[in-house]
Amino acid sequence: MSVFAAFLAVTAAAVAVLAVLPRERAVASSSVLGLVQAAALLLSAVDVFVRGPWSARLWPLAPWGVLRLGATPLSAFFLLVSGVVFFAVSAYARGYLKRYGRRYDPRVFSIVYHLLVASVALVVVTADVVSFLIAWEAMSVLSYLTVNFDHLDDRATRAGYIMLGASEVGFLLSVAALVPLAVAAHSIDFAVIARTAPRVVGPAARWAILLASFFGFGVKAGLLPSMSWLPRAHPVAPANASAVLSGVILNLGVYGIILVNAVLLPVTSIAAGLMVLAVGALTALIGILYAATENHLKRMLAHSSIENLGLITVAVGTALTFWAAHLPALAALAWIAALYHMLNHSTYKALLFLGAGAVDLSAEELDMDRLGGLGRRMPFTSLFMFAGTMAIAALPPFNGFVSEWLIIQSLLRGVVLVGFGVHVLFALSGVLVALTAGLAVTAFVKFYGMTFLGQSRSSAAEDAREVPPPLRVGMGLLAACALALGLAPTYVAAGLSGVAEPLTGVRGLARLVPPFFAPHRLSGGLRAAFHPLGAQLGLGILPPPGLVFLHQSASPAPHVVFAMSPGYFALAVAAVVGLTFLVVRVLGRARRRARVRPWQGGMEAAPPAMTYTATGLSNPIRVVFRAILTPTRPVDRERVVATHFPASISREVGDAYVVDRYVFLPIALLAMMAARVLARMHHGSINGYVAYAFLTLVAALVVVHFS
Amino acid sequence: MAWFARGLRQGVDAMDDDSRAPVSPGLSPGRPLPTPAGQMDDASLCPTGALEVRAGVTVPDYARCVQCLRCVRAGAPIRWEQSYRWAVSRTGALGPAFRRSIHVRVLDAGDCGACLAEVRQLTSPVYSLHRFGIFVTPTPRNADVLMVVGPVTRAMRTAMRETYAAMPEPRRVIATGTCALTGGVFAKSVAVEGAVSRVIPVDVEIPGCPPPPLAILHGLHLLMGREGPGRPDPR
Amino acid sequence: MVTERSLGDVLGTVPVAGVHPEVNWVRVEIEAPHLIPALRALMAHGWVFAGIVVEEDGERAPWRLTYLLGADRAPWVGVEIWVHEDALASVSSVLFAADWQEREAEDLYGIEFRGHPFPGDFALHEGSFPAFAPMRRSISPAPPPRPRPAPRIVDAPGGFTLPVGPVFSGVQESVQFLLETVGEEIIFAHVRLFYKFRAAEKTMEGRTPDDAILIAERVDGTAAFAHGLAFAQAVEALARARVPERARALRVLFAELERIRSHVAALTAILESTGLSVPASLLATQVERLLEISGEFTGHRYLMGLMTPGGLRADLSDADAGAVARRVRHGVEAVDEIYGRLTFDESFLDRLEAVGRVSPEEAATFGAVGPVARASNLSRDLRAAQPYSGYEGWRFDVPVEKEGDGYARWRVLMAEVHESARLLEQVAGALPPGPVRAGVPPTGGVALGFAEAPTGALVYWVRTDPAGQITRCRIITPGLANWHVFPTAVRSFAFQDLPIILATFGLSVADADR
Repeated sequence: MSVFAAFLAVTAAAVAVLAVLPRERAVASSSVLGLVQAAALLLSAVDVFVRGPWSARLWPLAPWGVLRLGATPLSAFFLLVSGVVFFAVSAYARGYLKRYGRRYDPRVFSIVYHLLVASVALVVVTADVVSFLIAWEAMSVLSYLTVNFDHLDDRATRAGYIMLGASEVGFLLSVAALVPLAVAAHSIDFAVIARTAPRVVGPAARWAILLASFFGFGVKAGLLPSMSWLPRAHPVAPANASAVLSGVILNLGVYGIILVNAVLLPVTSIAAGLMVLAVGALTALIGILYAATENHLKRMLAHSSIENLGLITVAVGTALTFWAAHLPALAALAWIAALYHMLNHSTYKALLFLGAGAVDLSAEELDMDRLGGLGRRMPFTSLFMFAGTMAIAALPPFNGFVSEWLIIQSLLRGVVLVGFGVHVLFALSGVLVALTAGLAVTAFVKFYGMTFLGQSRSSAAEDAREVPPPLRVGMGLLAACALALGLAPTYVAAGLSGVAEPLTGVRGLARLVPPFFAPHRLSGGLRAAFHPLGAQLGLGILPPPGLVFLHQSASPAPHVVFAMSPGYFALAVAAVVGLTFLVVRVLGRARRRARVRPWQGGMEAAPPAMTYTATGLSNPIRVVFRAILTPTRPVDRERVVATHFPASISREVGDAYVVDRYVFLPIALLAMMAARVLARMHHGSINGYVAYAFLTLVAALVVVHFS
Repeated sequence: MAWFARGLRQGVDAMDDDSRAPVSPGLSPGRPLPTPAGQMDDASLCPTGALEVRAGVTVPDYARCVQCLRCVRAGAPIRWEQSYRWAVSRTGALGPAFRRSIHVRVLDAGDCGACLAEVRQLTSPVYSLHRFGIFVTPTPRNADVLMVVGPVTRAMRTAMRETYAAMPEPRRVIATGTCALTGGVFAKSVAVEGAVSRVIPVDVEIPGCPPPPLAILHGLHLLMGREGPGRPDPR
Repeated sequence: MVTERSLGDVLGTVPVAGVHPEVNWVRVEIEAPHLIPALRALMAHGWVFAGIVVEEDGERAPWRLTYLLGADRAPWVGVEIWVHEDALASVSSVLFAADWQEREAEDLYGIEFRGHPFPGDFALHEGSFPAFAPMRRSISPAPPPRPRPAPRIVDAPGGFTLPVGPVFSGVQESVQFLLETVGEEIIFAHVRLFYKFRAAEKTMEGRTPDDAILIAERVDGTAAFAHGLAFAQAVEALARARVPERARALRVLFAELERIRSHVAALTAILESTGLSVPASLLATQVERLLEISGEFTGHRYLMGLMTPGGLRADLSDADAGAVARRVRHGVEAVDEIYGRLTFDESFLDRLEAVGRVSPEEAATFGAVGPVARASNLSRDLRAAQPYSGYEGWRFDVPVEKEGDGYARWRVLMAEVHESARLLEQVAGALPPGPVRAGVPPTGGVALGFAEAPTGALVYWVRTDPAGQITRCRIITPGLANWHVFPTAVRSFAFQDLPIILATFGLSVADADR
């Protein structure tokens, strides 16, 4: 409590200082203040973990209860994730924000930024409907302001409006979910609602609240069908705002969904969980398909954020399903997977956005088709981005691997559920998630390869230089986090298990994550089962626990074992690579090494125009998924000298975002048609209007009479 | 699968390589041998200047002879040899590690197509190059041997240097065909650099216009250290 | 027979400076501005563009250009213009088939074709001739070096150029493809020929025909006999020499033997490109048998050294001719057996059908020749259209297919193998007696020699001085015409179709590069 109060005090101080500081010192001061503020935020999260939950009354709002702040392990988790991102972003901003210094007042951005940090914290620590909604709206508007900071640019303004519009629609839906809850419980207090609501809300109302909250908060999380604002907002936002948007704000959407459907009114219908699961899987697939074929760095990362939020939603859906099916241990596993993935996504996606910002700052170009070869020119950025790429492509020893593995494992546990349809849905979702994971690798091979490797495909990329130290510090912090979260999953999972415990009432870790390489904590039957796998080899040498997931059966020896240990994997890889290097050095000492140019089919050197572009690399995906990605065939226009003698061919590729195409375009068309019909009614004839009035009156009378 | 069965039914078409008997003109056009000069002016019979009379003996220069047979058809008493062991090694073989298998990158430096067709013919079942552990590779990175056919045109100079540079050591170069040895009938062309050895070092020379597949095979065997260097037969 | 008068009717209102009958063609002299109308008029009456002959001739003006056109059973026409400066108007927009020949002349002679959209970067690569145009005799004034960026005509989001070659694949001639693409699909393909440019035309200058024929045979070694034949016929026409009947018949026999071997090799290459290695190997064995037949009976596996102006350098006895025909028949039967099996191989047909399509209209516009044209419903065959060497006396058909795709070319090749075998048997069974060689006195003048090479119409244009030495020899090869069509055929196909389409075209790079 006191730590959180200190955090709020830091925020107020920061805003006050920036309001009086001269413009030219704002960026540096804001960066320092931001670091302090983020540190306070992190401390307040740690405070909850160490000293336990707290609650504080603000003022009473009779007869509906009391406005209240309160922190649970869940809100502490969100504070922690947000704190990590804010900390890195604050360090980064010092070098980055200078680019806007000439056109805009950095003090404005800084004040908005510090307020945004506070509003984010408040969203997760408010403990009643009214203050939650106020904090939520504040957070929405403030995040819109940071994204739309470059408001002199028309594209930014347009994208900002779409973002704000989508956000408001989502807000209305969430109000529609929360207000009936408060009405049913006769209280705005979350604690009271959580106690009373499950008993008083009927099945139909449950569904209505689920749909409203899921799709309402889903707007913020970028879930199907309301995700197209994200790829519009990201490219125009400053990189630090993008990092916050993807690393913090999107998570809050998931927080909202969890709050309503797992805390206030836990889902009791398996079908509801399955719907969440299906929407998540589809969102993930659509997100990654667009990410794999998109060539704008930031837009691609935006699509990838959609994918990752989809994956988190898959895990959330799995958890809800298991909970509804009275399998709390499995639900705990899925919750751990969801939270772990959220934590991971926030670190690596913030890192990647900061890296994209570094590229933008240095090369002033974000089109992968025109980048390339930055690895040699920006070694630090390239290294950190490599870490981010490995993590997001779910490759060990980075963190993405652990959480995606957990998500797929918890999906596979679906076999214990009953019902053919349930199995089919779990299997299909598993397939979609696996496909998504595979496509993510191709997408990020393209991302890293086309940006940092090969030849520079434009003079802008050729002239790029390494970015200043503050940016490197910001990225380096996040890269270190991504590595640490990937290397020590046993400790992270233990912590997350505590966060998930209030949601399920079960310590998932104890049942599902026995520490493998710590034999004294392993039951006798398990030790015997692992013996043939060579488990005893690692016992003596490697003291920290590895990570194992078991499909536990009643007997002491498990039937099916799924095990994974990225920590030991990293050690093994390091050993193998090191040994190989040594062997090559020792054996190769006598050999003469030759450095030759790459083989270009006999040409001395191929110009950059003759190397693969990002479009070319991702074209197979575009062709295979043509039905979703490019419904219209490309149109080639020829300018000819004579028949069959083309002087130039220009190709136009039409595309429309799949969701817009199938959901919003039809709605827009319907609205236009309706408007046209209405317009036709305005024919200007007095008699006609009189007739309308008469018909309306008749209709009203009929309605009144029969109701 | 049906094709596999059909292939098996065909039986073995491969030629027995161990025969040292003279071969028919169907397999090799043959070449002139040093001959005591006759009454005719043998040297002027040759359109490419491959015949030279030295001390009463008409000596053929195989690096120039294009097998046009004009000397024989004009009735000159030139002895003609139905042979194919024509390859000459300028440096050593590749070494014991390569006795069993080598990979060859074939480079067309301006060939008329005949030499290349004969190289291609080597991979047919009749010569069955693969049974000797010799493989044609598309990338010079895997190649032990660069086999150059044709006179080196100006435009192919760079490509040839690049290809040679892209090969790992140890590497050997086989100049295949009269054009690759001296420029052949294109020696005087403005667009032709001439012999391969003017651009990159050559290890084995295989004369002939075009050298028959058996002669090319002989050159490859020489490089692998499976055969002694070819000499003009003293017959 | 077209006379001075009737050709005048064809040309209609185009003002003609003079119509001069030459040995085996008609020279139409014309002022440069009237060139395009004259070409249009001739094309409207069935003449087809064959090639441009550039001559550096100090007689009346620095440059003499002859636009050569051929027709079905009508004389060859050469429209001659004199150009006073190093530049003239391009005709490519009207006569698209001239596109590449203009670009070639532009690079090799350093003359400019005004209005051509793609100057430079055609025949000279990577600074091979930094200082001068290689075919030019008078080096001064040296033409200024042109900037030569790699051709790029496609403007597509994310488009790039995928270079293939000049050194690529296994045993492959050197040529470069610049594939403009956005990945997988070839939006446009540029073929960069002339890596193998050996300046054969220039090297033949100043030599006697006896000497020069060695070079002619080695322009394309896989069609050495056809090249020798076309060249020899040009020299014979110059001297108005009569070739003995037996030599004429044997020339047909050897030319058809070469055609069979070349076509079977082309079929082999198609099979290899589709990855069917068993039938490819079986056919490769038959190619070897045909080479062995050639070597055994003529002394040279590629029939070099046999041809000479005035006849042949060696005879083939009647018995041997019979043996050749018998053994070739044997080989063709073996090929036909495999061909028949492939007709039922779906996976093979899938890779050929509807792949690399050239419409009849495209084939005509590009001036395609040989099997490529005949697979696109264009019955173009010099053996029938302009019979030479006694072809009019033998019975044969010209196989034609309509579709213009890879499968049509595959079928045309096989049908022609049968026709050639039929011709070969007829000739072997009815060889006239007599000598095989007649004298050809050195003569000055200009004449055409032409032959249907395995890959299509081949024309030699030979000008000699009174001592009989060659002053200019223009070689118009089938490769130059068919390579020109190739980019059209691969458009909108995928990368992996490129080798297959290339194989069905049966193109020789050496023949196009000269």
